[in-house]
Amino acid sequence: MNRAIRRISIVSLAMFVVLMINVNYLQVFRVNSLASESYNPRVFSEQLKNWRGEIIAAGDQGNDMIVAQSKLVKGGLYKRFYPADRVYAPVTGYNSILGSTSPFGRTGIEQAENKYLAGTAPSLAVYNLKGLFTGKPKQGASVYLTISPRAQAAAYQALEAMGKPAAAVAINPRTGAILAMASYPSFNPNVYSTLDSGKLAKVDKRIRSNPDQPLLNRAINATFPPGSTFKLITSSAAFATHKVRDENSSIPAPRFYRLPGSHSTLANDAGAPCGNGHPPILFALTVSCNTAFAKLGVTVGGSALHSMANAYGFNNQKLTIPLPVTASAYPALTDPAQIALSSIGQFNDTETPLQEAMVAAAIANQGTLMRPYLVAQIKAPDQSTVQTAQPAVLAKPISPAVAGYLTTMMKSVTQDPGGTAYRTAGPGATSIVIAAKTGTAQNGVNNSHLDDAVFTAFAPADNPQIAVGVIVKGGGFGADGAAPIAVKIIQAYLRQQ
Amino acid sequence: MSAAPSVADVAPRGPSHRAVPLPRGRRSTELAMLCFAIGIMAFAYAAAGLGLNGHVPPGLVVYVAGFAALMAIAHLAVRRFTPWADPLMLPLAALLNGLGIVMIYRLQESGRKGNPGLPISTLTTHAALYQLMWTAVGIVAFIVVLVVIREPRVLQRYTYTLGTLGLILLAIPALLPASHSSVNGAKVWIILGGFSIQPGEFARIALAVFFAGYLVRKRDVLSLAGRRFLGIDLPRGRDMGPILVLWGIAMLILIFESDIGVAALFFGLFVAMLYIATQRKSWLLIGILLFLAGALLAGAIIPHVHERFTIWRHPFAPGTIQGSSYQLVQGLEGMAFGGIFGTGLGQGQPYRTPLVQSDFIFTGLGEELGLTGLMALLLIFGLLVQRGLRAALAVRDPSAKLLAAGLAFVLALQVFIIVGGVTQLIPLTGITTPFLSQGGSSLVASWIVIALLMRISDTARRPAPQSIQDEGLTQVVRAI
Repeated sequence: MNRAIRRISIVSLAMFVVLMINVNYLQVFRVNSLASESYNPRVFSEQLKNWRGEIIAAGDQGNDMIVAQSKLVKGGLYKRFYPADRVYAPVTGYNSILGSTSPFGRTGIEQAENKYLAGTAPSLAVYNLKGLFTGKPKQGASVYLTISPRAQAAAYQALEAMGKPAAAVAINPRTGAILAMASYPSFNPNVYSTLDSGKLAKVDKRIRSNPDQPLLNRAINATFPPGSTFKLITSSAAFATHKVRDENSSIPAPRFYRLPGSHSTLANDAGAPCGNGHPPILFALTVSCNTAFAKLGVTVGGSALHSMANAYGFNNQKLTIPLPVTASAYPALTDPAQIALSSIGQFNDTETPLQEAMVAAAIANQGTLMRPYLVAQIKAPDQSTVQTAQPAVLAKPISPAVAGYLTTMMKSVTQDPGGTAYRTAGPGATSIVIAAKTGTAQNGVNNSHLDDAVFTAFAPADNPQIAVGVIVKGGGFGADGAAPIAVKIIQAYLRQQ
Repeated sequence: MSAAPSVADVAPRGPSHRAVPLPRGRRSTELAMLCFAIGIMAFAYAAAGLGLNGHVPPGLVVYVAGFAALMAIAHLAVRRFTPWADPLMLPLAALLNGLGIVMIYRLQESGRKGNPGLPISTLTTHAALYQLMWTAVGIVAFIVVLVVIREPRVLQRYTYTLGTLGLILLAIPALLPASHSSVNGAKVWIILGGFSIQPGEFARIALAVFFAGYLVRKRDVLSLAGRRFLGIDLPRGRDMGPILVLWGIAMLILIFESDIGVAALFFGLFVAMLYIATQRKSWLLIGILLFLAGALLAGAIIPHVHERFTIWRHPFAPGTIQGSSYQLVQGLEGMAFGGIFGTGLGQGQPYRTPLVQSDFIFTGLGEELGLTGLMALLLIFGLLVQRGLRAALAVRDPSAKLLAAGLAFVLALQVFIIVGGVTQLIPLTGITTPFLSQGGSSLVASWIVIALLMRISDTARRPAPQSIQDEGLTQVVRAI
């Protein structure tokens, strides 16, 4: 039997060798990947002893502004401070002591870039290793945002002055860099920094039970009906499918339009006629005729509209900036009555304020939609660059020529005395030439709620540097509720240039 | 087959006229190693207190002196009853047992009395004391085995009695209502009042004795070759009975007690002993195939087992990371947190892993002692297994040989299954880590195993009685 026992000994030895190899693998080679695994409470509690990287708004040249920083408090622990209070809350999010142990432990950039801020990213291993030998506390990398402090401050102040649930997003159309991302009502992220878990639970409960939903980032995680601003996409599809040649081509615009296959009738605002009934599309957009674009949408067809909306960024479930963005929805439709309503931004269309800004940005950038992003750069504790954002094309919904027609049409909205935004975004309001489109979206059951004010714009119209999307819930007419906010953001941003 | 017993450990034979130095029992070596083991325990105990709150724990003297007294009694019993036994087994077991007590002490103190960390709700403040008391029970059992079983072959008388007892012990938890037998989904307990034991731990030993007796009697039949297939001699179909019955029992354990670990140990023990008894590789092959088929079948039909497979493959899946795979993930993250050198006793966060004091004590030790500590622990276990196998090689009585090999192998298998399980090498099953885990049954059973191995080792190493008259002939050595 001894031969068999010797063989069994070898099997036993092999089992121990395999265990030893596996333990080595875990405790030497998998340390970093396990440490950076979210839901790792050990690393997080250890992280309170480390200096967490700063978050810096770096969109204004030479005027960087720290929006999140760690300061040493009692007991050798670092506490997170947000000097800008609620202005940047939708961007930075908060960082609570729950950290990775809870899905709500951390939000915003604090969550999305945690690996770098906490210093656990594998690319930072070399700096941490240096720290290990020099005995310095571990340091995280700092995140430099594309946010322009001026535009962000203007956006938040304007939203706050309006006092209604609202959000505004501004994008650099050439790169996709997000210049402002404000949401109202907001919250004070400093209250989440408490090191007292009992206090944290109380604060969190209070904020979460607030019916105003201050934690909701309305700029990217709330959707609203786009209203008439969707006519830009209907126009894009009409130009792209050659149903309309250019901005001066005329389109049918009856006073009343009976929706195909239904008994409902669609009218223009206040039942007004639309020009002579066959106006150029330029005129129809300037005064925002509903019948013209509803009929145009039916002519273009549901599938062409759907694919154009997709090209502008609708129905994208996977967009991250790096915060995850809720998808804007434009359903694929076959029923002509539904197509008609959806062509003017009603029916089931919904979008985020970010999507609203992306539509203007694509038109401003000659038809090329850049991928929106918030993080410009990540720098290691020794100021060496770990990562730099590379602008990337997300889609090309329209040709430069079509973008030109649309720019002319959008300019007319603010510059033509008959334009819907002439009063609030035209020459009387600002010297900057803004290209824009207003939207006033009915919503609620039987349109019982107050209209949402929607506004999408870019400026300067001839040399676009900023594209803005604003949505104010219950804000009334887009020109009154949303346009002034966009104008303030544009002015604040362009003044510094 | 025909290999002669290893001569090295056996008393030299030959003409008695020559002055033959008696082989040494090496009891002093054992004592020295035992002191070393207790010293390590004492330092670890002090380190745990210093790591927790900067003070040497007040109970240090009581715990270390109590433990040292128990080990001294065990050592004296060994001197008296198994003077020729392997000198390393007792110190190795003592070191593991001592470190287990230290770790349990460190865990019970966590988050209590102003110490850092969170308190572990499943652990009372007397856990370490209880573990020390169970050690005392274990040492008593150890001595009883040494005293009662003076010769390994005594056990052969009770082959079928112990076989029946083993099966009954295995079956009891399955027959009891869940409130008296189930903890965390595994129905392997007998719970009466506040008292609970895992009969499977003792059943395994009884069955090992039974297999040893039974297989030695039947091995000639079982090793008959049947058809030859792919270069392997398959056994005859009619001899498949025992292995199929055993497989059936293992599957019943799996189905009624929902634990693949106990079933795997039980079946693995039988297959290994069958292979050693018959030397037929085909039995090994058939055993492994039957086991894999059983495990896959169980994974397909038993939800509890299926879940274990799922979390093994995807422990970090968002759906389970806060639920069923939380424990495994916390164990892995704890080990990673410990890294190469560990955080030091009392300075890690092992309390984050649920049941770190029992199933996951290995990851808790990995967190605080690091890779260095775990390698040492695995080496200690490996050495213990090796000493057992060595006794098996050296002893001449075939049933003792089979028993020692089976017990040593099943110890290795147990360490493999639980350590492999908590380190995500194989699916996790809830069995104890020998000597380290909190819990009386496992500790007492482990000490009984050590006693049996030492008894067999003593028999193997004991010098043969000097023949009264020198026959001048070579003794016939029975081929084993």
